[in-house]
Amino acid sequence: MLISFKDFSFAYSEDLAPALKHINLEINEGKSVVVSGLSGAGKSTLCLAAADSLSSYPAAVASGEILRRRDSGSIGGTAIVMQNFYAQITYLRSTVFEEVAFSCENNGLPRDEIIRRAGEALEKIGIEHLADRNPLELSGGEKQKVVLATALAMKPTLLILDEPISQLDPESAAHLADVLAELKKEIALLIAENDPYLTLKVADRVVVLSEGEVIADGAFGRILEPGIEEHVELPAWTRCVSEAVKEKHPDMEDSTKRYELSYKSAIAALRGIR
Amino acid sequence: MKIVYDGVSFSYPSKTALKNVSCEISPGSVALVVGHNGSGKSTFLKLMNGILKPTQGDVRLEDVNTRDKRVSELARYCALSFQNPDDQLFASTVMKELRFGSENIMGDGSLVDAVSGILHLEDYLQMNPLSLTYALRRLVAIGGSMAMDTPILALDEPTSGLSQREKAYLGSLISHSKSLKKTVVIVTHDLNFLLPFADDILMLSHGEVRYFGGRDNLFDRNDVRQLMAGCGVRYPIYARMSATLGAGKYCYEGKELIDELIKRKAGAAQRTNGQHQLEGA
Ligand SMILES: Nc1ncnc2c1ncn2[C@@H]1O[C@H](COP(=O)(O)OP(=O)(O)OP(=O)(O)O)[C@@H](O)[C@H]1O
Ligand SMILES: [Mg+2]
Repeated sequence: MLISFKDFSFAYSEDLAPALKHINLEINEGKSVVVSGLSGAGKSTLCLAAADSLSSYPAAVASGEILRRRDSGSIGGTAIVMQNFYAQITYLRSTVFEEVAFSCENNGLPRDEIIRRAGEALEKIGIEHLADRNPLELSGGEKQKVVLATALAMKPTLLILDEPISQLDPESAAHLADVLAELKKEIALLIAENDPYLTLKVADRVVVLSEGEVIADGAFGRILEPGIEEHVELPAWTRCVSEAVKEKHPDMEDSTKRYELSYKSAIAALRGIR
Repeated sequence: MKIVYDGVSFSYPSKTALKNVSCEISPGSVALVVGHNGSGKSTFLKLMNGILKPTQGDVRLEDVNTRDKRVSELARYCALSFQNPDDQLFASTVMKELRFGSENIMGDGSLVDAVSGILHLEDYLQMNPLSLTYALRRLVAIGGSMAMDTPILALDEPTSGLSQREKAYLGSLISHSKSLKKTVVIVTHDLNFLLPFADDILMLSHGEVRYFGGRDNLFDRNDVRQLMAGCGVRYPIYARMSATLGAGKYCYEGKELIDELIKRKAGAAQRTNGQHQLEGA
């Protein structure tokens, strides 16, 4: 166990509705959890809680507890890329390379190890070409990639990503999904994301939040049902089949699943209409 | 209002972002701007409302050259909602944020109520925008731009950070803008959601135009997949499904695709029926 939420509740202040209610959740090495849900459901608060970053809210009210394996709290143990990643660039360094290396520098790693890690992280994210650019002078998506690379360079055991593809072009988003699918074999991932394509590629488990509560928790293919559908985004092909089944289209086979996540099977089902 | 880019290049001190860009966006149309990260999309929009002026060439809004006007004057023509909503929000309440541009720049708050209704912001009007969730901050920023009621509305990645519920609100706002004959220019990575609204597509790669023209013309081209791949864009999922399923035309959303499949089926049934009748006679 890397981190475990035990009946954890949290409100940003006494007179605000709780952002999280009675969360029970365990995250383990080698597993990836994708958190889905409508905006305001509590995804970002859950990410901040997992990163132990909620202490900066002095008026907050919390109950229950979050247990962590001892080393997951240490530097390099947990890394987070926040939804508002713009605020995470330090701008203390004049090149992207130095900015990415800076996170490791803080950890007191030897110089050649820092250089190796920063180079590796830039390559993984596909931004070697930005290495010598000033972080201040980048486009939105380029900045998001810099913060992602910084988090990777820390080599965390728990990597928390809050909407990590929000500003990425589709090709870069697909590339990041591949990187994460590879990474999850070694470390634990907690990703707040509604994009169904990333979820399909990366998630071992999907946790669906609604108004601060967990309303579903399990494999993507298992949690889908009418009450949950409004809270998660379905892949386009799944949505099409689901609509056709819902409309009881006469040409659809009776055995057609309402939620068909496989592209091939969904197309086969839709061929019934052709 | 017509928008013309005429041989526009733009360089930041350390980087050339746009090279010889020309295009003409018709009044009342919706144009999507797509391309990989760093391809120049945001720069393209900032040239439209005059925050940036071309290094070479001209940007004209109808017959106004952006070089001849200050940003504050151009704000009457074009409202831009930024890629990062936090760069835009400054008022102490949502209501003030929505009213600011509309009252100070256009002198009429007539769209404020409509916008707060369409974007479902009524419950938040007295709250500080910075205390809201990211998705709501984005909606407030978009709403503030729309409420200015300018002939041109420019949105930089408006779907980013929105869940499907808010995306639907945004869709209504775009449709409403269209019904008001506004020219809408949208930078986006989310073709799957926005293609149904689009008239024209501008595709950028490394600051250069790879395609500018009608949406349907783009999908009629044999090289559409290569074109998109060259711009970091994936072939839209409904177009891929339309092709695989042999739908008669490219569909841009799920419902359209299913209707098309049903229509084809009905057409095929009718043809076979007709044949049977002929054979019977
Ligand atoms: N202030 C700046 N100074 C120097 N270069 C910049 C500046 N802002 C952007 N650039 C560079 O100009 C190019 C175009 O940037 P722009 O922000 O227009 O891209 P974009 O298409 O909007 O990208 P994204 O999808 O990531 O938002 C990029 O190479 C970027 O690094
Ligand atoms: Mg941009």
